[in-house]
Amino acid sequence: MDQVLFIVWRESVEALLVVGILYAWLKASPAAGRRGVRYLWGGVAAGLALSGLLALGILGISQFLSDDGQEYFQAGMALVAAALIVQMVYWMKKHGRTLKRELESGMSERVQQQNWWGLLVLVMIAVGREGSETVVFLYGTVAGADHSRMLGYAGAGLAGLLLAFATFWLLQLGGKIFNWRRFFQFTEILLLLLAGALLVSGLERLVSIGALPGLVDPLWDSSGLLDDSAGIGKLLADFAGYRSHPALLVLGLWLAYWIAAVGVLRRVGRKA
Amino acid sequence: MTMHKFWVVLAAAVLAAGAHAEDLPTFRVTIKDGAISPTRFEAPAGKRFKIEITNAGKSPAEFESIQLRKEKVLGPGVTSFVVVNATSPGEYVYFDDFHPQARGTVVVK
Repeated sequence: MDQVLFIVWRESVEALLVVGILYAWLKASPAAGRRGVRYLWGGVAAGLALSGLLALGILGISQFLSDDGQEYFQAGMALVAAALIVQMVYWMKKHGRTLKRELESGMSERVQQQNWWGLLVLVMIAVGREGSETVVFLYGTVAGADHSRMLGYAGAGLAGLLLAFATFWLLQLGGKIFNWRRFFQFTEILLLLLAGALLVSGLERLVSIGALPGLVDPLWDSSGLLDDSAGIGKLLADFAGYRSHPALLVLGLWLAYWIAAVGVLRRVGRKA
Repeated sequence: MTMHKFWVVLAAAVLAAGAHAEDLPTFRVTIKDGAISPTRFEAPAGKRFKIEITNAGKSPAEFESIQLRKEKVLGPGVTSFVVVNATSPGEYVYFDDFHPQARGTVVVK
């Protein structure tokens, strides 16, 4: 019961972070940013549709198919989302608080348009990736519950959604209360951590089906220090890419990602 | 290699891979509304093996092992499987992500 509530919230946090931060940022921008909001909601709608489709796939036909295809698909989604998040952070940082300078610097309408589509795809993946599991979970929970408990489940699901909206609202509030620079620094780090986690999850799927070599796998076992399957470790696994049994390849690429991200963003930050 | 030859080789490879997947050592795990069994089993090190998962419960489950890099969402009554790549000796945790108290360990040796 409380489980339903928690799972709905947990599964929606990733999407909420992406959507909430982008929304706060677009709202703070002048007219051009408002145009972006349209693409943002378009992405949410597309993501919900994707969730439904993926859920049908999970519930329906693909139960006994070889799962390599699914793994490639999931890995592809995670890696594309990671790349798009980094691109968004870069773009936001480059244009600081407003998009005005972008228009002054003569950035063409077309480049702008491409960015909006990137934003739409990112939001679609963020919503669709985790949304499908929520749909399966809710469907199964509700289908498996007897009618006397139905009301309770519906209530718990609703509470989970409310919690999700509260999280979203908090993000909006954060953008208003804290000075903008600080809010952006904080959310930038959150987004980069999330992109790192997505990178790890995408790479690991490819390693696990043998499409990429793990090199040294596992490099160590730190589950005695911090278990990645429960509590804080699980949270860090989901949002930062922590692993207690990392493969050398994945760890190396994760480190390379951080070095590159920090390097590039520093340079942009100095220019801005 | 001509295109035709390429397809023949590819088909042979796919068939071989399919046949190969058939004779993997297989272990069964059952999840039932927040209980997972067995909670401990041994698997061979350095070779691929298959875990066949059945959700015998009334609520959906997600078999997940961060350490073995596998996750599988299972509706009520569904059976599916994951193939685990060759793994070094050690202990690897698996759990039901929808009922996190249900945990088990694969001992690879």
